[in-house]
Amino acid sequence: MAITKLAFLVDKPPYKTETSRLALTHALSSQSVEIYLKDGDNVEPFLAFIGDGVLNCIKNQKALTIYDVTSLDMHIRNALLFGLNVYVCKEDIRKFGLTEDMIVMDADHPDGELKTQIVPYAEIEQAIESCDHILFF
Amino acid sequence: MKLGIFVSHFRFNTDTYERLKAERLGVIFVQNGIYHATLRENGKSSPLLEKPAKFYVLKDDLETHGFTNSQVDSRVKVITYNDLVDVIFNEYEKLAWL
Repeated sequence: MAITKLAFLVDKPPYKTETSRLALTHALSSQSVEIYLKDGDNVEPFLAFIGDGVLNCIKNQKALTIYDVTSLDMHIRNALLFGLNVYVCKEDIRKFGLTEDMIVMDADHPDGELKTQIVPYAEIEQAIESCDHILFF
Repeated sequence: MKLGIFVSHFRFNTDTYERLKAERLGVIFVQNGIYHATLRENGKSSPLLEKPAKFYVLKDDLETHGFTNSQVDSRVKVITYNDLVDVIFNEYEKLAWL
C-alpha cells in the first residue's frame, strides 16, 4: 500500500497557451487514477500557483461568456469541489498588486468545503518537499 | 508613419517594442497583453506604458481575465471589438503584432 504524492505547480499565466489548463485537467484526472492501481495504492495530488501562475486564480473570469471556453477559475472551483488542495503564493499575489478578495477561494457549490489556501511560498516549498513527483506547468 | 502595435503576451522580449517609433503610435493590449494595462508588479505599472503612444485595451479580453474597467491604468483606453475595427481602419496605416 502506497500513496504517491503529486505536486502540480503552475507558474504560467492563463489562456495564451493551454499550459495552465492542462495542469488543472491533469490534476483533476489524477483523482480517478486509483481504478488502475493495486488495492491500497493511490495518488494524492495538490495544485500550487506561483509566480505568473497566480493570475489563473483571479475570479470572475468571463471566458465562457465571451469566447465560449471554460475559464480557469471554473477549473479551480472544480478542483476544490473534487477535494484537491489548492495553494496560491501570498507573496506573488502581493507582487502583482492583487488583493485576496480578487482570488477564487471556494467551489461555490453546496458540496464544496475546501477553500483555496493563500500561503507564503515557504509553505508551498514544504509541500513540494513532501512530494514524490513534481509536475511544472 | 502611423503604426499600431498589438501586444498579446505578458512576458516577451521588449527590444523590438522599445525600438519601434512612429509619428503616431498606438499600442493595443489584447489576450495576455491586458496584464500590462492592469497589473502593478512590485508597485510599478508596466514599463510598456512609458512609451509615447496611445494605449488601448480590449474590453472582452480584460473581462475574460477577470478584470474590470476600473482596474485599468488611467493611460489606457478600454475599447470594444467595434471600437477596435475603427482604430485599425481610421487611426493607423500599418499594424504589427508583438
